Amino acid sequence: MTLTRTLRRTLAAALLAGAGLGAAAAAEVYREHHPRAAIDPAQGAAGDFSGTYGFWKDAAALERHRDWAGSTDPNAWKLNWKYPDLVDSGDVHAGHVAVDEGERFVRRAAAREPGFLACLGEGRNELKGVAAGYPKYDAKLKKLMTVEARVEHCAKAELWDDVRQGSPLNTKIAAYVKSQSAGLPIRVDLSAAPVMAAYRRGEQLFYTKVGQLNFACASCHTPGSIMGHKLRGEVPTTPFGDAAHFPTYRTPVGEVESLHQRFGRCLNQMRAQPLKPGDPAYVDLEVFYTVLSNGYPITVPSIR
Amino acid sequence: MSQPNAFSASRRTLAPLLMALALAGCAGGPGPKPGAGGPNYAAWPCLGTSLPCGAVATRTPQQKTLDGALNGDPARGQKIAEARNKGNCLACHVLKDGAQPGSRGPDLSRYGAGKRSDAETYALVHDMRARNPDTVMPPFGTNAILTEQELRDVVAYLQASK
Repeated sequence: MTLTRTLRRTLAAALLAGAGLGAAAAAEVYREHHPRAAIDPAQGAAGDFSGTYGFWKDAAALERHRDWAGSTDPNAWKLNWKYPDLVDSGDVHAGHVAVDEGERFVRRAAAREPGFLACLGEGRNELKGVAAGYPKYDAKLKKLMTVEARVEHCAKAELWDDVRQGSPLNTKIAAYVKSQSAGLPIRVDLSAAPVMAAYRRGEQLFYTKVGQLNFACASCHTPGSIMGHKLRGEVPTTPFGDAAHFPTYRTPVGEVESLHQRFGRCLNQMRAQPLKPGDPAYVDLEVFYTVLSNGYPITVPSIR
Repeated sequence: MSQPNAFSASRRTLAPLLMALALAGCAGGPGPKPGAGGPNYAAWPCLGTSLPCGAVATRTPQQKTLDGALNGDPARGQKIAEARNKGNCLACHVLKDGAQPGSRGPDLSRYGAGKRSDAETYALVHDMRARNPDTVMPPFGTNAILTEQELRDVVAYLQASK
């Protein structure tokens, strides 16, 4: 036991040293940043800087311009792709199937190991409303947790199973957990110091130019950038409100994708190396990005 | 699917060891493998510090001078400007005879009717940051998105657009 403890301490020290070195190296290399936009994190989705919030803030607003949806009208981007959330054709899509499969897994696993459900529910045997507070800081684990990270952690801790972030099963379970908060406004708690620190780091990443094309997220998703302009066949939209519908069934891809997988797809388009789902940089970016959806209702399952 | 019960008995004994293994995995874990046949951009700066590309520097802005005569081919230049895996200039600019153009950048469909020289045009396509540090235009020459000859072909195409 003593030996194990020593080993763990050594590893922890090595990890800390590694992290320190990484940070120092990152500070030294030359990086460029897209000019900053004004964002007030306290305002959440309502603080949208694109001037489009009034078009997608709720069902009534979306209904007013339903003729723009799916059309070539130059205003169509102002709906922020929220229109598909309104359409209830009765058709089942892969997003619904993912939620059902996630639920089936959780029920079966919880029947064998009740601790699994309690772990997902953070002490309660209930998932209703849990996802609305994510990402959050877990004081016990001393870690920022996304829903996907919680799924991976609980599967490991309670089921002794590897359900890695980015795997189809992880995304399905995360989609189910999120669906249990559908309709509830997102409430990322910025009063927690580690969350605020992550928000600031994520904000910095949002403006950092990377890849062969030297693009930042902000190059396409801030006022004065490509946002609202045609990028060949697409029109980049506001980043506000976006996190609310992930994981989502992406029709161009044919798969249900987590937010981190979407980040990876964006980075590939920027000709930058994507990171692994769950990477600390992605977590910081998700904190920043989800704060831009604070106050906006979760919509999972969804289709885009 | 998992068989959690099969492992429950040995959980207590294994936990510290596996935790150590998990931690070791975090310290030097391999990065994501590029998708099968997918592109590999590891040589370019990336977000975060967990991968080696996190320590790759962004190439600084370059003011490039055109050497000798342009010797570009406008027809080839048009193909390069339209190709998504090459210049993809159409993503942001209206170009002469180009379908489905973007709208962020200036309209270049009559660029050649203007007064910009080959040398100036070449320098701007090579690296627009030398003129405007806040530009969203990729540095096509500095970041080797286009080869020297491809740059010259694109410039010839722009100059021939009237």
